[in-house]
Amino acid sequence: MQNVYIYNDTFESLLNLCEILLKNKIKPFNIKTINYQASLFENTIKLDINNDVDIIKKFVNILGVSNFKIIYYVFLANENNKEIIIYYYLLNYFKYRDRINKMRNLKCVSEALRISSKVSRENHRFKGFTRFKELKNHVLYAEINPDNDILELLAWHFTKRLANENFIIKDINRDIMVIYDKKNIQLFSSEDVNFNELMLSTDEDFFQNLWQVFYQTIGIKERKNLKCRRNFMPKKYWQCILEVRNEL
Amino acid sequence: MNIKEKLTILADSAKYDASCSSSGSKRQSNFGNTSISGICHSFASDGRCISLLKILLTNICIFDCKYCINRRSNNVKRAIFTPEEICDITINFYKRNYIEGLFLSSGIIKSPDYTMELLIKTVELLRNKYHFGGYIHAKAIPGVSEILLKKLGSLVDRLSANVELPTSSSLKLLAPNKEINKVEKIMDYVKENRNKSFVPAGQSTQMIIGATQETDLDIMQKSANLYEKYNLKRVFYSAYIPVNQDALLPSLKMPPLKRENRLYQADWLLRYYHFKVTDILDAQNPNFNIMVDPKASWALKHLEEFPKEINSCSYYDLLKIPGIGVTSAKRIIASRKYFKLSFADLKKMGVVLKRAGYFITCNHEFLIKKEFLQKKFIEANLVLEEERPSYHNIEQLSLF
Repeated sequence: MQNVYIYNDTFESLLNLCEILLKNKIKPFNIKTINYQASLFENTIKLDINNDVDIIKKFVNILGVSNFKIIYYVFLANENNKEIIIYYYLLNYFKYRDRINKMRNLKCVSEALRISSKVSRENHRFKGFTRFKELKNHVLYAEINPDNDILELLAWHFTKRLANENFIIKDINRDIMVIYDKKNIQLFSSEDVNFNELMLSTDEDFFQNLWQVFYQTIGIKERKNLKCRRNFMPKKYWQCILEVRNEL
Repeated sequence: MNIKEKLTILADSAKYDASCSSSGSKRQSNFGNTSISGICHSFASDGRCISLLKILLTNICIFDCKYCINRRSNNVKRAIFTPEEICDITINFYKRNYIEGLFLSSGIIKSPDYTMELLIKTVELLRNKYHFGGYIHAKAIPGVSEILLKKLGSLVDRLSANVELPTSSSLKLLAPNKEINKVEKIMDYVKENRNKSFVPAGQSTQMIIGATQETDLDIMQKSANLYEKYNLKRVFYSAYIPVNQDALLPSLKMPPLKRENRLYQADWLLRYYHFKVTDILDAQNPNFNIMVDPKASWALKHLEEFPKEINSCSYYDLLKIPGIGVTSAKRIIASRKYFKLSFADLKKMGVVLKRAGYFITCNHEFLIKKEFLQKKFIEANLVLEEERPSYHNIEQLSLF
């Protein structure tokens, strides 16, 4: 039988599980979340874990910030085998230490680096592609549809950029949202937030319209290149991007 | 005239400026900041990035440059923004995350100093009244007094002055009011005074490609010269688009986009790949091969230097290999100390084996049979690789 170890969806819980597995020299066949449907040849195991609340701090201290960031970004990715990649990355970290990211001949390392830069790239893209609407109470509201779970990363970017604004960003693929009140950010599941119909500020239509006028004007007709545009701004994101939404 | 009409006119006449980068500056305020790597917010129908609100303050101009849509003798609708109007649009676009900041240029109204004062007034309002911390790129107007240049430079992230044409004879021909020494005076001043509170993101410039007779060699030499002399961040190349009828201008059906692309590739070779202009162009071959990129065409001319052994050649040698960029070269150097790299490892590091395969060995093994590695074969494959037709372009071939 192949042993699949189960964790409860959070990054902390995954790290706690990995710590135990590593300590006891257990090599799992795979690591999956609670609602995993095991196949015939798999045996799911849920360990009784005393969750260490300081586990994040502990791993940051062990790995250093930049390596920790790599596995955290992998965790945020929409990838099938991300947990086992994280496990093997950690396992090899204790062998190679600071050299770990140079060992690209190891599958776990090359995959971890590939996935983490994919997440980081999508986060960077959304720093540009996110479109806020201004609501009547001057709150800025945006909806995004990223492949990976970048909502929190993105929110940190906007807390620095728009420190003095209230904003809400909703990930419509995951039905979660983040709310910033000029001080802190908080994550919610969309069900937990009571949203009446969005009342837009009086200026909103005017500026949305003005932006679309600008967008139409700034492209040079003689250089038209829609393929190039799609390369940089994939169609899958257009739904949430004001100026191209109507071209879908 | 309402704001919408003004924006249409003044964005339309600003669109020919190629620069839209928002990188190189670290600024933080309660309303807005800049990102050191720059952020693209959208992409226009021509595939160019939209990062900044790119507009002219006015398209009124006392100059009569032949190639320019805004030249004095053209009968086009003219408009002028007030500084308050520009601030209002910038702030509201920025808040909604449409843009990374403002790129403010202008036609020359009344005099260079008068125009600069209007630009300064606008940027001053943004920075001091609205406490705007986003990116600002402003054009410096040639012929401006030093005191105004100093003031504008202390408010913006990037300044630029366009040389427009690679030689002064072309400039005399097409832009009789423009003097190259006035542009160079600005560049010199910015270079001498640049620090973290004066033009922190550095300066750039732009050249129009294909409006005059210069060869690629002339253009690249001018660029190399500008990079060296004034420490420019970027030289932008803008394929000439015929907007005016004039006996002195060439009549082109299509802007020379491929040529522009080759110039950008060569520009990168100068700045990041340790190439010199004389490595890639000379008096016998003063223009780039349109079919093959400049690095590949250098490699084809120097086949005697290849193949290079990935596990032992120097960093500079790695950079000379088509299909290997700065990032993958650095990864190779970092990793090969610890294990011998195979072709599969190279692929994972981002090396484009379809190009590099003809020029390298891994542990003295070839990817392609050695007998095939003839100049003609490699060249044909590199051309095909670049010209791979997309599905949309394949036309059904008729038998008859």
